[in-house]
Amino acid sequence: MALSVKLRQVDEYRWEIPREGKMRTRGLIFASQKMLAKIQEDQSLQQVANVATLPGIEGASLAMPDIHWGYGFPIGGVAAFNLEEGVVSPGGVGYDINCGVRLLRTNLERPEVEPRVGELVNALFGNIPSGLGSRRKDLKLTVPTLHEVMRLGAGWAVKNGFGSKEDLDHIEAQGQIPGADPELVSDFAMNRGKDQLGTLGSGNHFVEVGYVLETYDEKAAAALGLFKDQITVIVHTGSRGLGHQVCDDYIKVMLKAAQKYGIELPDRQLCCAPLSSPEGQRYLAAMAAAANFAFANRQMITHWVRESFEQVLQMGPRDLGLELVYDVAHNIAKIEEHQVHGKKKKLCVHRKGATRAFPPGHPETPAAYQKTGQPVLIPGDMGRYSYVLVGTEQALTETFGSTCHGAGREMSRKAALKAARGRSIIQELKAQGIIVKGAGRATVDEEIPEAYKDVETVVAVAHGAGISKKVAKLKPLGVIKG
Amino acid sequence: MKAAAAGGSRKTKYRQLAHTADLGLRIWGATREELFENAGAALTAVLTDRRRLRREKTMEILVEAPDLEALLVAWLNHLLYLYDVDAFLGREFQVLDLSPQRLAARARGETYDPARHVAQTAVKAATYHHLEIANHHGRWQATVILDL
Repeated sequence: MALSVKLRQVDEYRWEIPREGKMRTRGLIFASQKMLAKIQEDQSLQQVANVATLPGIEGASLAMPDIHWGYGFPIGGVAAFNLEEGVVSPGGVGYDINCGVRLLRTNLERPEVEPRVGELVNALFGNIPSGLGSRRKDLKLTVPTLHEVMRLGAGWAVKNGFGSKEDLDHIEAQGQIPGADPELVSDFAMNRGKDQLGTLGSGNHFVEVGYVLETYDEKAAAALGLFKDQITVIVHTGSRGLGHQVCDDYIKVMLKAAQKYGIELPDRQLCCAPLSSPEGQRYLAAMAAAANFAFANRQMITHWVRESFEQVLQMGPRDLGLELVYDVAHNIAKIEEHQVHGKKKKLCVHRKGATRAFPPGHPETPAAYQKTGQPVLIPGDMGRYSYVLVGTEQALTETFGSTCHGAGREMSRKAALKAARGRSIIQELKAQGIIVKGAGRATVDEEIPEAYKDVETVVAVAHGAGISKKVAKLKPLGVIKG
Repeated sequence: MKAAAAGGSRKTKYRQLAHTADLGLRIWGATREELFENAGAALTAVLTDRRRLRREKTMEILVEAPDLEALLVAWLNHLLYLYDVDAFLGREFQVLDLSPQRLAARARGETYDPARHVAQTAVKAATYHHLEIANHHGRWQATVILDL
């Protein structure tokens, strides 16, 4: 259990699990003293230590401040592996490959939109299929088209009239992870994906209309096109059933591969293969295909968000100004160049419930944000607020350019349902000025605000430790849930 | 813990276990076959109210895996696949043939209809984390964590 994991305080925001036993490196956790007590209740610290035993790991086995117990890797975990001896693990990415968040800004201000939020929520709910097993009746993809989606990512959507070239400049990796090979994605996965492009799904996925409550850094906010009281939209979803199937398919491959290459596993869910092996290469190419499907999914949803606003507010695209601020992936493994012992080295960085946070001046930070740093989007629970941050040099040197991804659950879904029993969560949120529409009562109840850590405390650690910088705080007005 | 939690009641088929971000299932059965049948029912019970499902459609299912534990994960993930692709939800499950590497089974249930069925919790996948099948005093018990 977690209690057996040794922990040493480094400073106000950093805690170290010293290298011990089969660990090849130390663990480094970003958290406040107060958060740590909660973290120690479950097995997430043991999971940080387990990841540290994997071959070829560079730097520390890292955990962001929203760390919680996952399966295999902890949620909030970051681990980088060298390409020579290192491994790639589907469990280090997760079932929802390229689950991520995008933020749209508008030219609209809160007073003009607030009275129409109910209508907007209804329009969004009507235009974007959500909920358990949601599918699109109007868009069923053939195998060749699905292959093209998986190769081109968000670019496929733009090519087909769903968005603009400018959108692509404001997406991590321009909405297309290189090296995707759709041939390595099973028929099972494609069957699941064929009518799920442009759907939200269930669980913690949502589309949220909100406004800028506060800005912390005027210059950075202006560079991101954000101002106080401005209406914003957040989209949170991933690769749907297609991604889940790719993960499941390759976990089976990796269970065999781990045996074949003699990799000792503390937990079967950590199964992996050397990055240099055919199994490792094949997973990366299939994962990239699923990640591209997710980028296309968020791009398609964005199109229907724009349409919903046009329908309800009877305004044209230019007046609405629904432009993409940025789109980040928070479940992904990427080949990136980092400094290791003073030398540039290619690494495979796993971010499982963690967001890339590249600094100003980094070649992968988009042109528009070269002076501010890459935008980082941290959604909170549906009753409180979300944050916009930017990446920093400190993140690049300390966490392979990574930071937190959300509030992190504090209560199990079971406990959340129990806490919500006998209450109307929708009415409670309405009283706070937030209109929520969900496909099922359970998905709303499981996502009650108190089931999550206050995202403010998570962001305070990321900001305090310097692995990202606060720019703005957004407050929800209307939410559609799966 | 209640008796059911310890598997004390011989009638208990399954129980949900709390897990911070996800959900655990503990499943019991007098035989390995019954264990797999109950696992199918436990999964459906997470997704919807099983009692409202009619026995309208029958699906024949065949899954293979390197060992019995992996076979349990493969079985549950195949049921999730059927739900994603055909919106099929099984109410009852019957194991036709079971070896540690191969399962042939039949599921009876129907297509999910949002008008009649309750959408509960969505499940992404059954995982290998803390996966365990053991025989306690002649009774089979399995633990599997679902990613939600």
